[in-house]
Amino acid sequence: MTGNLTGHEPESTGFLYPFIESEETDATSLLDDLAASARAKATESARLQRESLDEYAAALTAAGTAMAERFLRGGRLYTLGNGGSSTDAATLASLFSRPARGRPVAAWSLAADEAVVTALGNDVGFELIFKRQIIAHARDRDVAIALSTSGNSEDLMTAITEANQRGVLTVGFSGHDGGRMAAAEDLDFCFTVHSQSIHRIQESHAMLGYRLWSVTQEHMARPLSEARA
Amino acid sequence: MTITEALGDSYVGADLSADLAAAALDLARRFHDGATLWVISPQWEPHAHHVAVEFVHPVIMGKRALPSVALVEPDPVAQARVASQPGDLLIAVASADEPAVIDAMRRAQAWGVLTLWIGSGPRPPVGAANHVLWIDSDDPMVPATGRFVLMYHLLWELTHVCFEHPGLLKAPAQECTDEVCVTCGDEGRLGEVVLEPSAESSGATGQALVRTATGEEWVDTTLVGDVRTNDLVLVHAGAAITRLEVSP
Repeated sequence: MTGNLTGHEPESTGFLYPFIESEETDATSLLDDLAASARAKATESARLQRESLDEYAAALTAAGTAMAERFLRGGRLYTLGNGGSSTDAATLASLFSRPARGRPVAAWSLAADEAVVTALGNDVGFELIFKRQIIAHARDRDVAIALSTSGNSEDLMTAITEANQRGVLTVGFSGHDGGRMAAAEDLDFCFTVHSQSIHRIQESHAMLGYRLWSVTQEHMARPLSEARA
Repeated sequence: MTITEALGDSYVGADLSADLAAAALDLARRFHDGATLWVISPQWEPHAHHVAVEFVHPVIMGKRALPSVALVEPDPVAQARVASQPGDLLIAVASADEPAVIDAMRRAQAWGVLTLWIGSGPRPPVGAANHVLWIDSDDPMVPATGRFVLMYHLLWELTHVCFEHPGLLKAPAQECTDEVCVTCGDEGRLGEVVLEPSAESSGATGQALVRTATGEEWVDTTLVGDVRTNDLVLVHAGAAITRLEVSP
């Protein structure tokens, strides 16, 4: 009798668990769910970008204008970030240095050179990889933009302090509640994207950077007399 | 349409969301089978790096680290050729007219590599890649506004959702009979010449070592005449029957 029951069990109870995932064979509903999820996340990405641009409209104009004035005096832009934000920093630097349209200005990502980054990381410590480059490169007409989704990265914060002391215009892109960046007195401008998602924050950082670039371009295209007015 | 006007809309409509879903499931299936993801972006290298770091070091704790590498040397086709193995994945982030990407996407078929192409502007021709994830905007600034970042973020997020459905990670069974099978029948498979016929052998049979999606094999090149390393040929029944011209 026991043997009989055991023999039947898998078959007779299978109907109770029709959606055991390892037995799933039809991908249709998963694909529908994935597509719906993609649309919802994309809508949120666009909403957050719009909200961030609206919140910081005045500060973005002020920061972009100040950047343009520095570029017109021969200043250059350094961008800083870790991980995915280092790639966004590199994209932002190339937007300024080789834009699809408009005037290029000198700009580069301080994470781009693996010889420099590993030399500093190995010899003086990872938290100094950016600061030591600021010491080497920075002049009082330059600009630094630091991107961190937490606003807390130690290597960025020490570099910002150093840059500020050297007269560099300092801009921070942060996320969540702004972290240390939101409270840093060394930052001339801090743009915090209010979200808990690292992905959505990075997408808004890109848009904020794009807006800074647009303001900078507009300002640099004006005749000098008008630009001063 | 300018970037700011576009902000009024959602970035991903019904078609693109379906494309993303299908691409994510294919990505998850290949990763499940041991694939490595190679990424090229000759015009915007940081995007290649961002895709790779996304998969290797996920921003969400507890998600699997997956093998992915950005190929950013001056000749991405050469780099992808030597890196990739049958079953691997290749993502390009590039406009439709980027010559190295057009070439890599075409050759990937001979390498046995599944391709995804992310970009904006005019679309690549139908069939240029296994999955085309496209932003239909003629604004040249799109790559710097976060929309490419959104695209590969979504791809990563959806791929990891697929891992929660292990039953769906097995590729659907191929319809296959002995008599008529286009998939595995020897009807003319794309191959890339690895070793051209040597001086000694060419007089006899002209055997070239050719790489196809199923591995390497020696094929007779008598029909097509002169072939060089990296030429693309169609292989049928142990012979190269056509040499494909290099894309214009």
